[in-house]
Amino acid sequence: MTATAKPVPTPARRDDTGNFVSRLISIVSSQEIILLFVLIALLASVGSANPRYVAERNFINIFNGNAYIAVAAIGMTMVIISRNIDISVGSLIGVLGTISGTLAINGSPIWVSWLVPILVGALVGAAIGFMVAYLRIPSIVVTLGLLSILKGGLITVTSGEWITDLPEGFFLAQMKTPAFSILGLSIPAIPSPIIIMFVLTLIAVLWMRYSQTGRAIYAVGGNAEAARLSGISEKRILMTVFILNGVFVGIAAVLWATQLSIIQSTVPPGLELQIITAAVVGGVSILGGVGTAFGAMIAAILLSAINSALVFIDISPYWFRAVVGILILVTVLADMLRRRRTAAASGD
Amino acid sequence: MRKTLLVGLLLTTVLVLGFALAMPAAAQDRWDGADDLPVSPLECPAMDGEMAATDEPAAMEAPEYDGGQAVNAPDLAGQDIVLVDVPKLVGIGYFAATTLGEQQAAEELGNVTVTTDAPTEANIDDQIAVIDNYITQGVNGILFAANDPVAIAPVLRRALEAGIHVVGYDANSEPDAREWFVNQAEFNGIAKAMVDSMVAEIGDAGSFAIVTSTFTTPNQARWIAEMQAYQEKCYPGMTWLETVEAQEDNQLSFNQATTLLNKYGPDVDGLFAMTSVATPAAAEAVTQAGLCSVDSASAAAPSAEEAVAVVGLATPNAMKPYVNDSCVKSVVLWNPIDLGYAAVYVMRAVVDGEFGPGDTTVEAGRLGTLTVVNGSEVLLGPPFIYTAENINDFDF
Repeated sequence: MTATAKPVPTPARRDDTGNFVSRLISIVSSQEIILLFVLIALLASVGSANPRYVAERNFINIFNGNAYIAVAAIGMTMVIISRNIDISVGSLIGVLGTISGTLAINGSPIWVSWLVPILVGALVGAAIGFMVAYLRIPSIVVTLGLLSILKGGLITVTSGEWITDLPEGFFLAQMKTPAFSILGLSIPAIPSPIIIMFVLTLIAVLWMRYSQTGRAIYAVGGNAEAARLSGISEKRILMTVFILNGVFVGIAAVLWATQLSIIQSTVPPGLELQIITAAVVGGVSILGGVGTAFGAMIAAILLSAINSALVFIDISPYWFRAVVGILILVTVLADMLRRRRTAAASGD
Repeated sequence: MRKTLLVGLLLTTVLVLGFALAMPAAAQDRWDGADDLPVSPLECPAMDGEMAATDEPAAMEAPEYDGGQAVNAPDLAGQDIVLVDVPKLVGIGYFAATTLGEQQAAEELGNVTVTTDAPTEANIDDQIAVIDNYITQGVNGILFAANDPVAIAPVLRRALEAGIHVVGYDANSEPDAREWFVNQAEFNGIAKAMVDSMVAEIGDAGSFAIVTSTFTTPNQARWIAEMQAYQEKCYPGMTWLETVEAQEDNQLSFNQATTLLNKYGPDVDGLFAMTSVATPAAAEAVTQAGLCSVDSASAAAPSAEEAVAVVGLATPNAMKPYVNDSCVKSVVLWNPIDLGYAAVYVMRAVVDGEFGPGDTTVEAGRLGTLTVVNGSEVLLGPPFIYTAENINDFDF
């Protein structure tokens, strides 16, 4: 997890070989590990106050509740690392989920109703990428426009009517692995969103760390000029980032649409902010170049755990926003401090 | 530098957590989702468990009539009249239902013709244009459901000045811009229906939690306040556990309802849900947790101890799957067919000179005698309970 401390892959790996202790501290102080500690501390403290909090059912719900947000946050991580933003993701999830449900109730095979939203997501991502990379329109403007188009379009087309009577077998997010025991350990049934979240995050982390294109995303976001000089095509990378973001949003939309028996064909309020919050709290620098999908996933789980904890320890929901706000500020502060440190270290 | 950073972050973490864990001590005055306005709980049901036949509001000083009057309206008592109905919009199931009720009333009365005409989007400017058009054409009466209570008032006042009778339903205007408004439900009526429906399922000693939208939504806060007052008055043995906020977000509503079920386990007997978003989500949470009292999906139905009842305010379409599965037994709302029906009867009574300022009741066909409330409003009556027997007759 040194990726947070080493945004641009090219610089010399000076202290990697040097001071073992300093390296250890750098790993331990990385955002992902800190979040993991916070998550464990939260589970342990609230769990000791009320054991039902960490009982199997609620434990699984904590991981399951924000799984679709974590999946969308993988794409958001890439977008923010490339020094862009996508604020249309919430609306896009609403639209793609509605497309999925509409296909399903009109008799399309189930796999088509799962696949089409992902393809449409990729297409929308390509359109955003084209406008950002080739027409040089700032991504916040492009996606702000798209947000309004999608939000308005969805209400006009569906007149806010919900999709019901979805076919059996459509509910991907309600599927579970069978429970089994191994070596005397009983493994409970795991809902599919949790598995999808872990697998996609793992693939994304490995791809971004070890593939050339993946590392180029960090390079473009960290220092676009240097990336260009080293022969990376910024345009191509941005296109890739937005198309991949569209794919992840598409998958998130399918999970969102198949979680309940009814699809609320309106745009979920504030969903894009939850996704951006997961990415930022997960250690993705708003200044680009730094962060991992793993951090975003832990942050999404942490947000879900906080929300559940507030119910369990009888705290007014007023506090959820305050706590999330504190988390965001602390995270950004930590990012600034890390940057200052890195700048000081490389400045001499 | 690194150590400072690390220590700083851990310190903040501890602070945030400590802060969070210390809160329950200060949370004596827990947020219950109710507002602080005065409440007026209705009478409790009769002791034999039957619903009281009449829902007479507690005797209070009735406010003065504050509606407007049609100027020099022609005397058409008993004669054929032509009405136009201008709902917020056409093309949605809800106003198709009010239109159906209006047609039923017109057919019963025999001397009323009513046409529904409205924009296809809920737009106040278009709605004003439609009404303006009918004032010019000349009709005997206008029924409306306002897209905006203030903006619609001037055009309605013009109608009154032109001698056209004006009666509103569903969404009010400023009182002096119409003669009467048919009010679909009062807060205390909804509250009584919700609590009585819950008691029918979990008994008068059960414990319940509430899933609402946000703490700032005035209607939900009002309903909850009235529900508390009515429950304390009529079923003091019930236990309120807590109220959670779930925005207008079905995923969050589902997660919150699930968390409530996990937190209280067998100690929660029922969930109230306060919106069309929260109610299906709460029903979904109960279904997916396998806690429906009648669980058709699984062979192993939960014991009566574990089962959780859901009672909510919602539109029938959102609730059909759960009501048809018998997981939810009652959904509380008003009946839009009856609402349109009552509006036409009120209009007929106004034209016939049988219903005017100072009157306290009006006859409305199959609905019987309706009561005047709040000066110039006609209360539709107790809310409608959608059940497995009737929910499939509605499409909105």
